[in-house]
Amino acid sequence: MSLLELDGVGRTVVLPDGDLLEILRDVTFTIEEGEHVSIVGRSGSGKSTLLNLMGLLDTPTEGEYRLDGRPTAGLSQRHRAKLRGAGFGFVFQQFNLLPGRTAQENVAAPLLYSGGREFWRRRRLAEDMLGRVGLGDRADTMPEKLSGGEQQRVAIARSLIRRPRVILCDEPTGALDVQTGTEIMDLLDTVAAESGATLVTITHDTMVAARAHRHYRLDAGVLGPLDPAELAPARQVAAPRQVVAS
Amino acid sequence: MTGLAAAFAEAWDEVRIHKVRVIVSLIGVLIAVAAMTVITALGDMARQANAEHSERTSGRPATLSVNVWSETGMVAAEPVVTAYRELVERHSVGYASQVGYSENVMRFADGSEPISTIAVDPQYGEMHRIEPLHGRWFAAADADRLAPVLVVNEMFYQRLGAPDLRTNPTVVITGTRPVRATVIGVTRDAYEGEMPGAYLLTSHLDRWEIQGLYASTPTLELWVPPDSADQLTEVVRSDLVSRLGDDVQVEIYRADPEDFDVIDSQLQWVVRGVSVIALGMGALGLVNIALVTIKYRVREIGVRRSFGATSARVFFSVMMESVFATAVAGLAGVVLAVAIVKNVPIDELIGGAVTDVPEFPVGAAVQGLVAATVVGALAGILPATVAVRVKVIDAIRF
Ligand SMILES: Nc1ncnc2c1ncn2[C@@H]1O[C@H](COP(=O)(O)OP(=O)(O)OP(=O)(O)O)[C@@H](O)[C@H]1O
Ligand SMILES: [Mg+2]
Repeated sequence: MSLLELDGVGRTVVLPDGDLLEILRDVTFTIEEGEHVSIVGRSGSGKSTLLNLMGLLDTPTEGEYRLDGRPTAGLSQRHRAKLRGAGFGFVFQQFNLLPGRTAQENVAAPLLYSGGREFWRRRRLAEDMLGRVGLGDRADTMPEKLSGGEQQRVAIARSLIRRPRVILCDEPTGALDVQTGTEIMDLLDTVAAESGATLVTITHDTMVAARAHRHYRLDAGVLGPLDPAELAPARQVAAPRQVVAS
Repeated sequence: MTGLAAAFAEAWDEVRIHKVRVIVSLIGVLIAVAAMTVITALGDMARQANAEHSERTSGRPATLSVNVWSETGMVAAEPVVTAYRELVERHSVGYASQVGYSENVMRFADGSEPISTIAVDPQYGEMHRIEPLHGRWFAAADADRLAPVLVVNEMFYQRLGAPDLRTNPTVVITGTRPVRATVIGVTRDAYEGEMPGAYLLTSHLDRWEIQGLYASTPTLELWVPPDSADQLTEVVRSDLVSRLGDDVQVEIYRADPEDFDVIDSQLQWVVRGVSVIALGMGALGLVNIALVTIKYRVREIGVRRSFGATSARVFFSVMMESVFATAVAGLAGVVLAVAIVKNVPIDELIGGAVTDVPEFPVGAAVQGLVAATVVGALAGILPATVAVRVKVIDAIRF
């Protein structure tokens, strides 16, 4: 049984003029625990839509999406929110830090929804997590005072604070220069490996995609395998963390 | 439990972040709450002070005052007093006292002086909530003492030279048979500059043949349950008429104070009306600002959804923001109201007869806070509904 299973998933939206737009069509693939998977596609190919479906922010209009083998179709909004908060960490291209809150408060924010002891210890936990992403000394800094790379580090710390099983990254390096982007990807790989989390990276950058164990291509809403030859000759990750039977 | 704490923590953060907008939109709420609280508090305090004051003079609810008089002249006291006594026994009225106003010349160490006296029964103290400043009020056992006893007012006590009551200070009640009376208690003056006065016991009048000047037929006070006051009035009237005959008039009235308002009730309603409008305006301001800022916060709401915030949490936290904000404003308003009321000379407001000013009524403060909080909740519903409707996907795409 796989962690995430998409089975013939499609997503169609109704445009304001009444026309139907098929963003995703018949997407079928699985992701195992601890894997690093990348999905490459051009702008508008439906990458973010696919990621939102996986993160339970959106629901498929066709097909079935199973988490731990359980279908997600019948879940209540509330249940989906709980599963999302507990199981997924999101990293966005635009960082999406909460304005007006310090780095530490941003990292602690997801714990407002976690309940129990974690909520009460949220400041300590956030501090530790900031230390792990190398920003231990910037805890009280406001996001707008941080560089892009630092903001993304805060976002990564925030995505990890609830120890999610899956980290969903939507163009995590899209707003960064090449050097900083490489550092961010190194960090993501490291922290994901440390916590055994599954990493799904969506990108149009083949160099970023090359760091994953498995690669897919999304083209106009249709998912297919990516020819390894297409991948940029980037620094490969040291070794796959896990050998995955396909 | 933790969920609630977390929701509060989140809402508090929001208020903190948006403090400027919050402060601006809350001034109306603050002023309205302060005005409402001041009006309520002053009304309550004045009513309470007045009630205490008039309970001392007129009795507690419901006190029936029974007067017997005749169109042809004085009514002999003896049959009336007997009739009173039988009446109280027959209807087993728990609290009753004769009240006889008179004047007696009393001799102090340094000379004699006419003193107004009120002859009462021991229960009069309970009925008028009399709490002596020094010493004590009459007890039932005082009837059998070997000398008459007096409970005097402060002026009388000063006239005596303010002695320690444990030394059993005495005065002589002059008359055909002068008698030395012991002062056992001192009561508060009802108003500043009251003439010296004293209470004595009805039963002692006969025993020591104390005859006052200008003594009138004593009245009878009955402290009865307010519910049965009207019914008892009729029973007592017909009872007395049948005992005393048709040539006397029996008059019975409620002596305890009616509710009264120092602040003109119309003015009260005007202030209340204006306060409610001001509260409403403050609330509308809040709604407006909240709705505007929700637009800027759509992305933030989307991001929170990605952390696992449920619709209920989003709704609650947005609503709690305005509840927090108005509660803080309400608290400030109540503090302002307390400051105002502390500086209002309340005794002057109700006619200078209050010796101890009542405390700021907790009820008024609570009412102010509750009003502010309810307004905050109402003002929060609309923005909270909008916030819940935010589409997560649209919120986090750029
Ligand atoms: N709710 C919607 N209503 C209408 N059109 C939508 C909606 N959601 C997505 N689309 C369209 O579907 C297409 C795919 O969107 P999506 O955001 O998934 O693309 P993407 O691959 O993430 O693109 P990018 O690389 O630019 O972020 C786009 O053309 C977008 O305009
Ligand atoms: Mg996208």
